[in-house]
Amino acid sequence: MQASFLFNHGHHSIFTAILNGLSIGSVYAIFALGYTLVFSILGIINFAHGAIFTLGAYFSYTLTGGAFGFNGLLANASLPIHLPFLFALVLGSILAGIASVIVERLAFRPLRKRGADPLLTLVSSLGAAVVIVNVIQYLVGSEIYTFPSDIYGRLPASINFGTVERPIAIRTVQIVIFSVSALIVSILTYFINFTRFGKALQAVSEDAITASLLGINTEKFITFTFFLSGFLAGLAGTLVGSSVSIAGPYFGIAFGLKGLGVIVLGGLGNIPGAVLGGLVIGLAEAFVPADYSGYKEAIAFALLFMMLLVRPQGLLGRSVIQKV
Amino acid sequence: MSQPLLEIKNLSVNYGAIEALQDINLVVHEGEIVTLIGANGAGKSTTLKAISRLVNSAWGQILYDGREVTRLPPHQVVQLGIAHSPEGRRVLSQQTVLANLELGAYTRSDRLGIKADIEHQFLTFPRLAERRNQLAGTLSGGEQQMLAIARAVLSRPRLLLLDEPSLGLAPQIVQEIFSVIRHLRQSGTTILLVEQNANLALRTADRVYILEAGRLTLTSAAVELLRDERVRKAYLG
Ligand SMILES: Nc1ncnc2c1ncn2[C@@H]1O[C@H](COP(=O)(O)OP(=O)(O)OP(=O)(O)O)[C@@H](O)[C@H]1O
Ligand SMILES: [Mg+2]
Repeated sequence: MQASFLFNHGHHSIFTAILNGLSIGSVYAIFALGYTLVFSILGIINFAHGAIFTLGAYFSYTLTGGAFGFNGLLANASLPIHLPFLFALVLGSILAGIASVIVERLAFRPLRKRGADPLLTLVSSLGAAVVIVNVIQYLVGSEIYTFPSDIYGRLPASINFGTVERPIAIRTVQIVIFSVSALIVSILTYFINFTRFGKALQAVSEDAITASLLGINTEKFITFTFFLSGFLAGLAGTLVGSSVSIAGPYFGIAFGLKGLGVIVLGGLGNIPGAVLGGLVIGLAEAFVPADYSGYKEAIAFALLFMMLLVRPQGLLGRSVIQKV
Repeated sequence: MSQPLLEIKNLSVNYGAIEALQDINLVVHEGEIVTLIGANGAGKSTTLKAISRLVNSAWGQILYDGREVTRLPPHQVVQLGIAHSPEGRRVLSQQTVLANLELGAYTRSDRLGIKADIEHQFLTFPRLAERRNQLAGTLSGGEQQMLAIARAVLSRPRLLLLDEPSLGLAPQIVQEIFSVIRHLRQSGTTILLVEQNANLALRTADRVYILEAGRLTLTSAAVELLRDERVRKAYLG
């Protein structure tokens, strides 16, 4: 009667599938937002984003007091503190944000200062991803880590939205994931569209040279964008890790590819598009019958492919972000 | 005379192997309108870009109010009081007219003052007022030029750099824009104006520099130049 039962949509109602789809889709959305933010500022896909996702999950796991296995430099080590999950989630994501800023300093900025080809930067971000994955493996090995089952304290493991005879059980994790993601997306949308800081961020994204002529410190905004992007990756990593498990240092790679699919689906550099793309892929996957769940990824990408045939600019996309 | 507001000493700028500016010396005093004229590719825009630090100088010094700005990042130059309305207008096309103006005041924090100044710009350019919630990318060329100037003015600069504000505009709008420029000077803004339309520039400015292939070849009071036969032939047609 555990997770496998609740993940199995075969005989569940459409309601369950929708909720599950929204839940995983909302994680795709916040993860993809991180990609899209960096893309809209620099016009470059940050391939280290998936690795930061992984890193965030490990940070939060460590902060909840989780111990490491037998392999790696940190074998059997654990922190003497046991932070409540929500604190670990926030703090772990902040640390992921800081890691993302470090990646920017080492892999992006030096090339930008030299005016290098964006393709080179793409390769160096890929290099950063490989380094991060290897460092994780070196430190904690490649075991699967599972968050403690009581991370939500006194909340029940699942909530019944149906009746006693015909239960529609939704895992609490799913509800938490959806709520956290919805909250983040709302805050971000408000912040980008309605604050002075957000408008300046849009200005940097549209035309960094003009932004600097208006007195905007563009480098500061780039740093902030990487922080935000890493924070979102860390949140997504922790949420997915706590819902299933942390499947090893390569945990974020497949997720990273799917995130790329999401932003292409939504329109590169488009913020509402990333959210919509995430929800669409999440829902599409949720409606894949349990017997075919092994093909979820294939189905998601088939959807993406069909979409691109019809609307090459993505669901909501402008075809190209305005760059000068 | 007192210390100039802007002083450029022995400035050279290169783009790779191209020497765009060679050994430029130029001063602008507080309260003046100084114009920089010259043929296409002479280096006029490069001079303005060097001042606002969009391009690095290979050699020389740029002093603003006695302070060296030669190595500052562009946003700090704006904070010191230099605004630049660039070649090609460069309005933020994805944002509204109002948002462009608000971003023009990005370096300021006096909310009420900013509001009043934006309303003042709307009085100066009524066309912008009618289109305040329209995306700037959908404005006509003339309207975008007005927006670029209004946006630069909103930082309350002491020194305003204007790069070809008349380019591609109908004569009547050009007149409008130049009357705004004269007004700005009356209200205390110092202006360095780059123009193709030499006739208009000379009638507006106090002093003029002529730039030819990256070198300053002549500097004089604008009125004298208007009377000079050779210059009339070469630049005023
Ligand atoms: N980014 C660049 N890379 C290489 N060369 C450049 C660059 N920008 C300008 N140049 C060259 O430097 C010289 C001066 O250019 P600049 O834009 O300053 O001329 P200008 O006087 O403003 O001309 P115009 O009246 O056509 O605007 C030109 O020969 C131009 O080709
Ligand atoms: Mg020019």
